[in-house]
Amino acid sequence: MSNQSRFPVFAVTFAVVYAAVYYFAVYYNWPLFSYGPQTGQWLLLNHPASDGPTMYWYGWMATSAIAGAVAGLIVCYLPGNPGRRLWSGLAWLVPVCSIAAIAHMLSGYFTR
Amino acid sequence: MWIALVITHGLLAFLLLGAVTHQVVSVWAPVRAGATNFVARYRAVGSAHYVNAIIVLYLITATLGGVLYTKYRITSRLMMELGHYWKSVGAFEIKEHLIAIGLALLPAYWYFWRPSTNAGDLRTRKLLTTLLAFIIWWAFLAGHVANNVRGIGT
Repeated sequence: MSNQSRFPVFAVTFAVVYAAVYYFAVYYNWPLFSYGPQTGQWLLLNHPASDGPTMYWYGWMATSAIAGAVAGLIVCYLPGNPGRRLWSGLAWLVPVCSIAAIAHMLSGYFTR
Repeated sequence: MWIALVITHGLLAFLLLGAVTHQVVSVWAPVRAGATNFVARYRAVGSAHYVNAIIVLYLITATLGGVLYTKYRITSRLMMELGHYWKSVGAFEIKEHLIAIGLALLPAYWYFWRPSTNAGDLRTRKLLTTLLAFIIWWAFLAGHVANNVRGIGT
């Protein structure tokens, strides 16, 4: 299989896995790293900054991007190329579900 | 410097909003005959030419937003919480997650806008574009509202 035919498999898998992992990374707080904007501290994994708020957003994106990229590479290099049968609509459907789940998680802001 | 960054971020977001809105209108309501008026010409743009610009603008705008977010987190956000602007805070929280998920769409969005995309994947192209447009519109409006509640530097 050429790189040209592998790319759509990678792109769809990346979108699906990134979006799904992102939801769980936010829900269970699995950042690859944390950042304290008050102190300028970068900390590995989930560690609160010594002072002020801690930001996990960058870390959640890094966790999801690595998971998406690794899964995408594995699926597009699998023997027999089963990724070709992957429905392309998953690239928008799974992110929509992830967005809906995150909106539900944050609904408390709109009901206070 | 923060004010210059906010203004640049806003201007880039505005360009991105215009480009993606053109594209989403053209995929849902393409003009089949010759464009004769403003609305028809708006729908008749060659939307495939916008793809690379949208991706580059998205990445630059999101990166700038990521830098600004640190300042927002220790200034505007705290003030908005003290003022009980919970809906604005919530809308901004959703914005941050939408932007993050939007990044995941970009490789597929780029691929399904290639001229050689087969007919079966046209719906995927249309819905990816629509989802990206929704993300960009939400991000623009939530950012605008947050800036109106407490602009950085005020």
